[in-house]
Amino acid sequence: MSTVEIKLSRSNRIYRPSEPLQGKIVIKSSSSIFHYGIHLTVNGSANLQVRGGSAGVVESLYGVIKPIKILKKSQEIRTSGRIGSGTTEVPFSMNLKQHGEENLERFYETFHGADINIQYLVTVDIMRGYLHKSLSATVEFIVETDKADLLERPVSPEMVVFYITQDTQRHPLLPELKSGGFKVTGKMSTQCSLLDPIAGELTVEASSVPIHSIDIHLLRMESILLGEKIISETSLIQTTQVADGDVCRNMTLPIYVILPRLLTCPTVLAGPFSVEFKVSVVISFRSELSKLHKKSDPTTPRLWLAMETLPLELVRTN
Amino acid sequence: MEFRPRNYIAEEESHALPRSGADDHPLFAPSTSSNHHKVDVVDHESHDFFDPLRSPAANAVALNKDVEDGESSSTVSSEAAAEVSVKEWTTFKRFLMQKFPVSKMVSVSLMPDVIIKTGKANVKDSTTKHLKELDDPANFAEEDVKVITGQEYVSRLHELKDEIKRAWTAEDRVTSLKLSIKVARLLMDTSVLQFYPTLFVLVVEIMDMLGNLVWERIKQKAEFGEDGSRLCYLSENFKEINICVEAKETCNNWFCKVGSVRELLPRIYLELAILPCWRFLNDRPANSLQRLVLMTRGLADPLASVYCRLYMAHCARKLPSCDTGHLITSINDIKILLTRVLSTKEAAHGKSVDNRRLLVSLMEPTIEYIMKCIFKDASQRQVGTVLMELGLGRNQVELFGSNPCVSVVLHHLLKELPTEIVGSYAVEILHLIEYSNDKSYDQCLNYRLLGFRLCERRPTLDILNAAVDRIIQVVTLLDELDDFLKVVDPYVDIILQNQMDNHLNTILEGISERACKKEIVDNDVVGLQSILMKILSHFKDLEDVFALGHFLEILDVMYGSSRISIDMQILNMATRNGCINDPTTVQLLFEICQALHDGIDFVNSKGDDYQAARLISRFVLMVDYGAEMERHLTFLVECRGAFGSINELKETLVHSSNHLATKALKDGRKHLSFVKSCIAFSEVTIPSISDHIRQLNLYIETSEVALLAGLISHSDGLVDSAISCLQSVDLINGCSGVRLRCNGGTVPPLHPAVGSTWIDGSIGIQRLGATVARYHRSLTPVDVDGMVTSIQKLCSLLVIVPGNPELGFTHTLKSILSLITSQSWITSKIKIRISCAIVSLSATLSQNKLPYNADLEILSNDLLFYGDSSYVQELLSFSEHVLQNLVEIIEQEPSGAVRGSMALEACNCIAASFKINHNIQPVCSKLIETAKSNLSTNDAYLQSTIKVLDKHLPTSGISASTTI
Repeated sequence: MSTVEIKLSRSNRIYRPSEPLQGKIVIKSSSSIFHYGIHLTVNGSANLQVRGGSAGVVESLYGVIKPIKILKKSQEIRTSGRIGSGTTEVPFSMNLKQHGEENLERFYETFHGADINIQYLVTVDIMRGYLHKSLSATVEFIVETDKADLLERPVSPEMVVFYITQDTQRHPLLPELKSGGFKVTGKMSTQCSLLDPIAGELTVEASSVPIHSIDIHLLRMESILLGEKIISETSLIQTTQVADGDVCRNMTLPIYVILPRLLTCPTVLAGPFSVEFKVSVVISFRSELSKLHKKSDPTTPRLWLAMETLPLELVRTN
Repeated sequence: MEFRPRNYIAEEESHALPRSGADDHPLFAPSTSSNHHKVDVVDHESHDFFDPLRSPAANAVALNKDVEDGESSSTVSSEAAAEVSVKEWTTFKRFLMQKFPVSKMVSVSLMPDVIIKTGKANVKDSTTKHLKELDDPANFAEEDVKVITGQEYVSRLHELKDEIKRAWTAEDRVTSLKLSIKVARLLMDTSVLQFYPTLFVLVVEIMDMLGNLVWERIKQKAEFGEDGSRLCYLSENFKEINICVEAKETCNNWFCKVGSVRELLPRIYLELAILPCWRFLNDRPANSLQRLVLMTRGLADPLASVYCRLYMAHCARKLPSCDTGHLITSINDIKILLTRVLSTKEAAHGKSVDNRRLLVSLMEPTIEYIMKCIFKDASQRQVGTVLMELGLGRNQVELFGSNPCVSVVLHHLLKELPTEIVGSYAVEILHLIEYSNDKSYDQCLNYRLLGFRLCERRPTLDILNAAVDRIIQVVTLLDELDDFLKVVDPYVDIILQNQMDNHLNTILEGISERACKKEIVDNDVVGLQSILMKILSHFKDLEDVFALGHFLEILDVMYGSSRISIDMQILNMATRNGCINDPTTVQLLFEICQALHDGIDFVNSKGDDYQAARLISRFVLMVDYGAEMERHLTFLVECRGAFGSINELKETLVHSSNHLATKALKDGRKHLSFVKSCIAFSEVTIPSISDHIRQLNLYIETSEVALLAGLISHSDGLVDSAISCLQSVDLINGCSGVRLRCNGGTVPPLHPAVGSTWIDGSIGIQRLGATVARYHRSLTPVDVDGMVTSIQKLCSLLVIVPGNPELGFTHTLKSILSLITSQSWITSKIKIRISCAIVSLSATLSQNKLPYNADLEILSNDLLFYGDSSYVQELLSFSEHVLQNLVEIIEQEPSGAVRGSMALEACNCIAASFKINHNIQPVCSKLIETAKSNLSTNDAYLQSTIKVLDKHLPTSGISASTTI
């Protein structure tokens, strides 16, 4: 019985394109094995899939669109030979981006979305001739943008000011809300480092109807170019409550939203696809009606909801 | 048989100890100057030995210096400080749980699924039931079986805690975290107000546990590599730079996970739980607090909000150093919350007024704790800053501006302010209290608190005067007695100590005005008690107190146990400084005693009210009308009428009247009729005392007095009464209930203590003190012992009572002897002792000169019957009869050891009383044989008895006594 696995040098498995991918191949075998060479392959691709969102019936029939290749490289770590019984470790080091080498595509950061999947895999293959099944193992590693390619300018500390009143809402509101009125003001950063929380603040200046809750929704928009058409899907990736109940008026509440690491990536605007983010401030007012629609999508405009959505650019920083 | 002749004067001289003069009085204190000198010397020498009481004090001084030097103090013993804060938190949690106990009805209207998970199928059903029951409590009581009670809720939380711990040890940290989030979510429900503090304590314990686990895990990661090798050792105050990347990443993951919790409240609680872990990521962990405190503003529910802030204050103390900024923000936000709570319009309905009161009382402990944290080790300068940041002070000089403060917040602020600040800004604080009048806290209690704070350390006199003036103005506007008393109470101390007499009068007048206007209630009485007690303990002289205007009026409106304690205090004071002479004072005190007497049911009392009885008796004893002895006796008569149910007092009355009689006698015979009335008073009073030993002693005492006055027939009558009293012991004893008894052992046996020493006031007091009353169902050995000594005492009195030839000289002796056979309580041992006393008495009476005399004017037996042979004959034959009995009794005694000692006792008595001749010697030898056969030959008593016998063997010279 023989097994093989890949152990990457970094426990978080994050590598930058300019850095060598390092680690070791661990082979465990009860007897010695002969092989025709140990090969290591790295693969990077963006997989696009149209499932729902704004895609029509016809488009969804097409389903998977041809993946976009980012990287494919192979290397022989060992030439043919024999591996002794017991545990054998074979170290490896592989450059992802050779200097002066022309790449297939930009090294997009690893991302697992609903429709878009950018994934980097490393595979080891040990060929053992025709009589034996070859041994192989695959591990995902995570690619983050090179430090050198990062934005030179710092993340802008500027904040966008927002007002939410009965008049800024384009959907129908509860009559008492419409007549009584309310005003929530605040500001929020619209450009944000992935390592930092979304910062901002918010103040309830007035509200005729008691507030039930104020939430910050983090939204992600994945768009794919399909022929002439752009198909986008928006998904709610995180909700963070900033006010629970009818808070005191004119008290500044901080907005502090830590970005979920696995669900976000730097904003990408590539030709065939894009990943963008939005932040939505949703005020829900106390209403008997809301209890009837407990399970509904919180971003859908409702009579007892008021909202304001702001674009959010996520960037990779040091 | 022959009595042994005695020369008492010569005997006394030969037995007296030699005396020599002393230079110093042994009880005088040594002169102070030399004393001081000694102490100084000790101080100088104390360097080389360890004085456990002194050295730490010296260290403490050094420490204090360090503290004053600067901020370095926080690093001195952060570990110790942490320990202290842990302890404080534990006690605080206990206090919360006790203050707001989980009542049986508590169950939560929206049962969260974590709690229901226990597997109760019908829980959902029961919650709806519970909701119904809330509307109909009567229904609820019947069906409480199916409702989840507070206890069940609590035990479920304990289970959850174990589950979280188990998951953690099983390396399933995700489950631990998920469960912890669910637990934290429970705090979002504030629907059962009363239950919230308990819930908080339980949840927070789980949060703290999780926080510690996370801290330990990350610390482990920082200190040890993956393979278990040690990377570094983190000191108490490590820096972020010492932490390896892996540990930081794990730490960051925790904050990310916690940050992704949707709901605000659990998110804050969990971040607070792992707050100390910020130290692995940056060197200014306190920055997060500033953000967290602002985030807490998002919690609209006032209860949830303040408890969250409480937890924040607790968690902040786990950080090595932190400023009070976030705490002050907390307090300011709480003020806004409270203002909002107080201004809600729902307050119109009675029910929600109660609810609001409950809400404020639930919020109060959190304010208290946060205030304590703010003022912990705050310097004066810092206090100034704090006050400005709290919106009170304008600048470092004007610490209290004109902005009002929510009164409950003000209360706890006032509690924590350093005494110096309170002292120097007393007037400003008073104004602040005046502006800050809202429904969150009773304004009067704030005035009151200020008073207590001012008592801690006196400010300068002008500030004190201004403050007290102001307070007097404030209280004059208060209509309710209760409010008035609440405010005034602490200021009474200040007023008394600074001799602000006019204010004291105003206060007393204010009290009496308000007290007389309306019927006063229990609460008021307690307040009055406190104030009157202060006044009483301040003045040395009771007459000064009585002279205060309205004092007595106020005393009159009081009732119940408070009244009793005030009365007792007054009596205590009155009897503290010697005699009470002033007739008005006596009259007042008499009335107070009456009130006290009426307030206590002495007949059915079970010993608790002994103190009151003692005080009344003491008062009676201390009253002294001086030369107006008639008046004094009248007073005693009044007392007997008024306090008839106090047994002990009657004894005092007899003592007092006897004392009066002896005092009158000192002036010669001109008051004889008065003395007679005194004795008559005593004679009438004694029978009403239920205790026989006391009766007996008092009869003897009174008889002594009568004898002293030359009233022989009175004296005889009293002796007869004493004996008949002894005779009735058996009778009464059979059906005795609970009765007061005394330890009669203080009566000296066979001692010529006749007359005034006995009746002297001081001795009387000692006796009262010593005779602690006990309650017995029947005669105890102590009682019997007392009785015997009293009989012996009676015998010693009989030495000087002239014999009555009509009844026969030995009439009284015979009566006493007859007791021996008739009384069942008299054991053989006692029979011996009484017989011996009688024999001794007979021997004494036969002497030509008695050892002592009552008065020269009264002829005693030695003069009356000098040389009368029939007199001596009668005594001798009587003695012989007693002697025979004596021997018989000894022979009949079954116990050997007792028989032996009885024989010796008898033998000694015989040797002392009779000449040892051929008649007596066989008796003595027989007794000695009895003793020898029953006691060891080494017995000291036996030895000395034999010696005495040898000395008295018939070698002595010729005697004048008659021989039979």
